[in-house]
Amino acid sequence: MLIKFTLNNQPVAVEAPPDITLLALLRDYLKLTGTKEACEVGECGACSVLLDGNLVNSCLIAAPSVMGREVVTIEGIHDADGGPNDMQRNFISYGAVQCGYCIPGMVVAGEALLSKNPHPTREEIRVALAGNLCRCTGYMQIVDAIEATASERAKKSQ
Amino acid sequence: MSKYEYAIAQTIDDAVRLLNEPGKRNVVLAGGTDIFVALRVNPLWFDRLVDVGRVPEMRQIREDAGLVSIGAAVNFTQAVESPILQKRAPFLVEACKTIGGPAIRNCGTFGGNVANAAACADSLPALVCLETVAHLRSAKGERRIRVEELVTAPHETQIEPGELITHFTFAVPPQDARSCFIKIGRRKAQSISRLSIAVIGNLDRNGKIETVRICPGAAVATPVRFRNVEQMLTGQKPSKELFASAGDQLVAEMIKSTGQRWSTPYKEVALKAIAERALSNIFLQDGSLC
Repeated sequence: MLIKFTLNNQPVAVEAPPDITLLALLRDYLKLTGTKEACEVGECGACSVLLDGNLVNSCLIAAPSVMGREVVTIEGIHDADGGPNDMQRNFISYGAVQCGYCIPGMVVAGEALLSKNPHPTREEIRVALAGNLCRCTGYMQIVDAIEATASERAKKSQ
Repeated sequence: MSKYEYAIAQTIDDAVRLLNEPGKRNVVLAGGTDIFVALRVNPLWFDRLVDVGRVPEMRQIREDAGLVSIGAAVNFTQAVESPILQKRAPFLVEACKTIGGPAIRNCGTFGGNVANAAACADSLPALVCLETVAHLRSAKGERRIRVEELVTAPHETQIEPGELITHFTFAVPPQDARSCFIKIGRRKAQSISRLSIAVIGNLDRNGKIETVRICPGAAVATPVRFRNVEQMLTGQKPSKELFASAGDQLVAEMIKSTGQRWSTPYKEVALKAIAERALSNIFLQDGSLC
């Protein structure tokens, strides 16, 4: 079936079978492999994307159900020049990235949080990341990077 | 060749028509958080998913004439953010907060939680305490059945093929009712309930328990009220001692229902503890725990 939706602010139409998940649609049919495949049961958050602005696990979304909706993947999160945005740069400078596998999901979850709550407490950041597992960092640096991004953005918007 | 088809319903009538199209095993898709997990372990049990996630009437929380109505496709984030539920059923909101993580709560729905009917489903104990009624639609019309009766066994319900839960309703609890939900999981978030309890009740003018409803989760096969314990508490003056013996009786009733299971030595201690905590919180303290 032809699945038409908005992907990273661009309209797309892709021919795909009805029995696949959004994760498979993104990775196998649209070749956007920034969204990671790991547990495939909604436990780990590696496949996190934004659907109409809300954080979802793309492994639990029927691909055809995104018809007419807006999907943002990690490939859609970047600076104006196409390089890493402020949050992604903070992930690097705070040492929040080790093996890197969970990081696309972490960044998407971080952006989902800041879009709804621009001034989160550390506790709110931890709650927002509760569905994203990282086996390397112990989360501290990830929380630091998101916290720093929030306060930098707040300063900038003043 | 795809393993199954997909159809999207725009309205409730549309959904019922699609679910009753002959020659196909149709299954309702709402949030997908149970179906896509089950698909990885179970043999395919349907020929087509009928997506009700966009049916507007099924996505609303409303209050009208003393009745709160929750659409079956309302997700748990909506529930947590709903001023109506925060005011009328704070323990249901607390229960919804404990479900999965943010991404799961953005998808998982009340209809799915009830229809999937896991013994550990976190929205069910509070729904049962509220005497919530499920409204089901089929080609034959509408029928209503209490959630407590709808769920008959773990992962089994009275929902017939071709039937759709459209919404749930419960009567607004009395103004002075207090409620509490406590969950024990292995982690703070993204965890399955090992055990939980929902309690709602109020005191009469003399400070005695006027009404109380108690429904543990993941204690017995389905979320049911423990009416013997409720009766024992009704008309009594709240005290630590009373709640300790209520906890003992709750545990005895659990074991009567399940027998001694591998988890019983843990659950008998834990159930008593959370029951005492929930009852004390509602009737002896200010209810701020929940």
